[in-house]
Amino acid sequence: MVGIGEYYPDLVSGFSMTMGLYLFALFLGLGLGIVLAISRHYGGPIVTRISTGFIEIMRGTPLLAQILLITILPYALSIPAEYTSWQIIVPDIYGIERVVLNTRILLCALALGLNSAAYQAEYFRGALSSLSAGQTLAAQSIGMTKRQEIRYIALPQSLRRAIPAWSNEAVYLPIYTSVAYIVGVPEFLSAATLVVARTYEALLVYFITAVIFLVLVSFITLLLNRIYERIRIPGV
Amino acid sequence: MVAVLEVRDIWKAYDTLEVLKGISFDVQKGEVKVIFGPSGSGKSTLLRVINMLTPPDKGEVFLCGQSLMDSKADLCKLRTRIGFVFQNFNLFAHLKAIDNVSIGPRLVLGMTKEEANDAAHRALEKVHMSNWSHHYPAQLSGGQQQRVGIARSIAMNPEVILFDEPTSALDPELIGEVLQVMLDLAQEGTTMVVVTHEMGFARAVSSEMIFMDKGVVVEKGTPQHFFQDAQSERAKHFLRKLEVLYGQSETEKT
Repeated sequence: MVGIGEYYPDLVSGFSMTMGLYLFALFLGLGLGIVLAISRHYGGPIVTRISTGFIEIMRGTPLLAQILLITILPYALSIPAEYTSWQIIVPDIYGIERVVLNTRILLCALALGLNSAAYQAEYFRGALSSLSAGQTLAAQSIGMTKRQEIRYIALPQSLRRAIPAWSNEAVYLPIYTSVAYIVGVPEFLSAATLVVARTYEALLVYFITAVIFLVLVSFITLLLNRIYERIRIPGV
Repeated sequence: MVAVLEVRDIWKAYDTLEVLKGISFDVQKGEVKVIFGPSGSGKSTLLRVINMLTPPDKGEVFLCGQSLMDSKADLCKLRTRIGFVFQNFNLFAHLKAIDNVSIGPRLVLGMTKEEANDAAHRALEKVHMSNWSHHYPAQLSGGQQQRVGIARSIAMNPEVILFDEPTSALDPELIGEVLQVMLDLAQEGTTMVVVTHEMGFARAVSSEMIFMDKGVVVEKGTPQHFFQDAQSERAKHFLRKLEVLYGQSETEKT
């Protein structure tokens, strides 16, 4: 039997890939999610419909289907290989050269981000609609423009309020990224599967994988609770 | 001299419910107008129409001769000159008292941070809230919140302040501190339009009282007029009800 010890580099680089996908998708989803929430909440009839349509499609179809669709796009659109065959190779901490980015990984991260944006948008929209209408009137009454009211009154409060619910997305997302395994992105689960295939230590390896995800998620939860306690509005 | 506010023939309906049916009045500089009447008579809607928080179906409002309904007018600019104090205070929950007051001068009037803070400190001093400037709204009592609300409007240095039942959401023992601030403002010559049932306040400082019922102005007059010989049955009836509610002293003092 081969020990799993010699596969640590694979697991480490798989974990790094998972964290990369996670952070990219989380922050893309955060930025886009805020924009979607604002446009769905405050937009005119057309803007509201566009963002509602996007949110409902992303939430209403399987993430795997979205990833498959987006990653085959270059082939479906017959984009010449010279645009899609690039890759960035960086040696990992053990000196082994690893592909850290190519078209597929990028598209996969994009799909995760777009999907996450739809869910995050709904958390933010929920928080936006929970604000009292009175503060909006007050902001208008001192002559604030709609833009100022959103920027200085609605967003600072609703982003804070959204944190407990939003933390759901922040802890789901690292787990969801394992779907990228199916399209061949060398992330954590695919590294684990590789190690299982080489060593037949399925129980041990998947157990370690699960524990690492658990530790990661607990850490994110703890971090977000800290942030929430620090920036919450006193007395509310 | 041109009136600070001219309200001309305001009509407003929500679906089939007619809330305002042709309201007109003027407010001169330094005047304190008290609007009162039974609930559902359209008083709050009227105040909101004045600074276009609720646009009317028909009619016009002029601030110092300038129409707020003019499509070329910068509504946000005009609103900075009309203060508004809400029944439920509506302070910005995420800002300390001082920031609640300084945010308008800073963002809307374009003052620097220091100027805006100075203006906010002066305003808070006027409402006796200087010692509470670093508290958040949720850490203040209703009366304190309302005084910060008043400071928020006076920091904008408006031509007129509209008060929408400023003491109705307060516990009885907190009403006094808010009324005192409003009396001080009135005595300094602040132009005010006040929707209230505080007849003691009306008697002390109002230059004219307007009795509204079912969307129309039923009767106008000085406090003396209302407390000594109100003409309309509806006004008399309503004042009697207030007496029962708040005790006789208000009318017997005259």
